[in-house]
Amino acid sequence: MFSLRLVYIFALMIFKFISLQWKAFFRSASLGGNMIAKVFTWFFLLYFIVITTALGLLSYKLITENLEVENPLLFVNKYLIYAFAYWIVVRYFAQKPPVLNIRALLITPVLKTHIVRYALNKSVFSFFNIIALFYLIPFSLLLFKKGDYEPYGLLSWNLAILGLVYITHYLNILINNNNKILYSIAAGLILIKGLEYFSIFDFTIYSEALFYSFYETPLLALLPWAILIFVYYRVFAFFKKGLYIDTGLEVKVKEATLQDYTWLNRFGKLSTFLKNDLRLITRSKRARSTVLGGVFFLFYGFIFMFQEQTFGSFMTFFAYMFSSGGFLFMFGAYVPSWDSQYYPLMMCQNIHYNEYLKSKWSLVVLATAVSTLLASVLYSFQGIEAICAVIAGGIYNIGVNGYLTLWAGAYTKSPVDLNSNKNPFGDKKAFNVKTLLITIPQIILPVLVYFLGSHYFNNLIGCAMVGLIGVLGLTLKNKIFQQIVKTYKAEKYSTLNAYKQNS
Amino acid sequence: MISFKKILKQYSKQTVLDIDSLDIPKGQTFGLVGNNGAGKTTLFSSLLDLIKPTKGRVINNGVDVSQSEDWKSFTTAFLDETFLIGYLMPEEYFYFIGELRGLNKKEVDAFLVQFEDLFHGEILGGKKYLRDLSKGNQKKAGVIAALIGEPKVVILDEPFANLDPTTQIRLKAIVKDMSKNKDITVLVSSHDIQDVTEVCERIVLLEKGRVIKDIVTSPQTLKELESYFKGE
Repeated sequence: MFSLRLVYIFALMIFKFISLQWKAFFRSASLGGNMIAKVFTWFFLLYFIVITTALGLLSYKLITENLEVENPLLFVNKYLIYAFAYWIVVRYFAQKPPVLNIRALLITPVLKTHIVRYALNKSVFSFFNIIALFYLIPFSLLLFKKGDYEPYGLLSWNLAILGLVYITHYLNILINNNNKILYSIAAGLILIKGLEYFSIFDFTIYSEALFYSFYETPLLALLPWAILIFVYYRVFAFFKKGLYIDTGLEVKVKEATLQDYTWLNRFGKLSTFLKNDLRLITRSKRARSTVLGGVFFLFYGFIFMFQEQTFGSFMTFFAYMFSSGGFLFMFGAYVPSWDSQYYPLMMCQNIHYNEYLKSKWSLVVLATAVSTLLASVLYSFQGIEAICAVIAGGIYNIGVNGYLTLWAGAYTKSPVDLNSNKNPFGDKKAFNVKTLLITIPQIILPVLVYFLGSHYFNNLIGCAMVGLIGVLGLTLKNKIFQQIVKTYKAEKYSTLNAYKQNS
Repeated sequence: MISFKKILKQYSKQTVLDIDSLDIPKGQTFGLVGNNGAGKTTLFSSLLDLIKPTKGRVINNGVDVSQSEDWKSFTTAFLDETFLIGYLMPEEYFYFIGELRGLNKKEVDAFLVQFEDLFHGEILGGKKYLRDLSKGNQKKAGVIAALIGEPKVVILDEPFANLDPTTQIRLKAIVKDMSKNKDITVLVSSHDIQDVTEVCERIVLLEKGRVIKDIVTSPQTLKELESYFKGE
């Protein structure tokens, strides 16, 4: 009887939690935007599911026939270690850690263990965990059907990998809340990559042996699950310990130092805002991680390098263009949301909307110009075409994408919580699907133009055409700004209203 | 002069502000009292063009605030913590506001000297960002920032609430001092009728968005307001 009652209470509690989350979503002021973002999110998810399943179905054939490898399972195991390494990185940037309004729940009669358990478990069926199955299941079925593989061995191999996937899941939650773990894992990954790059150490041998042993000795699959349980309880204990307003939920106060940035005075009236934005970037964790994420864009050009035969030169161009757009796409996408917490102040100060927006634009332009310069130096070893591509992309980013981002910002009414390192459950992710969405129209057009130019003439003409559009955009600056200001003015009151809600 | 002309603000049929006509002459120290939901902050927000009235116009010294941004050059305000930039140190915040109002660092420093008493050593020269200051100290910084750059119109929402007694007395003295200057129009709202009667030359009482009383402050004013709020 007693236990039945307990189950009933527990079920009720779960229901209550879920309904709270439901309300938070549907009653949020930016619901319209949320809906669209949700639809696109689902579209993305579907896309990845299809791709992953296709990969799972095709890899048997690809490995045995195209690569002429006899044992496809052995082959996959060879590279699994890299798959997991990349997965940790992807998770860190794309997966949001669980968010729950903890403080309000602390003094309600809900057991602390239940709060933590709910926060940790509600993401168990996250896309980042499930997606692995879409590869594993078709791949394993084919191994079983076509190859001569032991069903028990395959089952235990699958279970082991699933266990490891969940280990990365909980590890990600820890990484997001503990910088020490973040840095040590990052260092570990860089070390692995470095050792592999300079061919000092071949990880594939060990990866192969390790993962293949799960197939050969099914009992070994228990090991990842044992580690998983250990990690889960570590995470659990970490959060449980943090459920006090003077420990984990404490607002950490850093000692402040005055920053004058007098060297910025040369920018005249603009410097007033540049100084503040610089302080924002250095002092707000959220802004800092966003800008750091943008820095990684510089290296985007390496992704498609040496692979022009496979992807075509327009993909390389796309990568070069992206390499100068880090700040634009990462930081710029949140203009004016960065000012959301004090937007009323900005709207009352002795500065016209036009000047305010121009100052934001100038910041983005300045950063893009610097990134273009850095990227063109970085890729100069690739020859004149690479330099031209970087510069053309940079001009396009400045002359077109700068406006587009700013213009889109008038409609992006989600407030940014600058102090979101307030508690370990807080949302401090800078990179999300919404930001990714706005970038689509900004990229397809120039790549298309480049493609046409390089296809009918040559690569340099393609670059020139893209650069020309950018220059055209720059000459129309005043006209475009009039429109942008108009949009911002029309949206002003609803933006102010949306920013009032801090979530 | 500031005039509200036939102002009506409704949120889905619920009227939060309904003022036929309200003029505040230049130099007046104007107090706004009323219970929660009376429309005090809504009134100030409409004057600052932070909300758009459903009907009517707000004219600030000849400028229709929803049509032109020129009022920004002579108007300052501190309504709540959304007027603070959390990641700045108080000094940096003052310099920022000062720069926007055409004052350089030295001029801001010179301006701040007179408030040393009020700051009580807790605002300047500390090692904290605005976001880490106590609510009371945040309010002090915000109110003083609203006085930088010789504004002609100063709007303060609940400036005396949540302050310690000493600060309240000092801040009231500052506002009284301003009321002597016939160039500055000061608009203050408060829940505390004693504070407003002490500081303001004229008091308007709002209820459910309407002007219920409009009185020139006299020794009887406090009694009059008290009896109203008692429900007599």
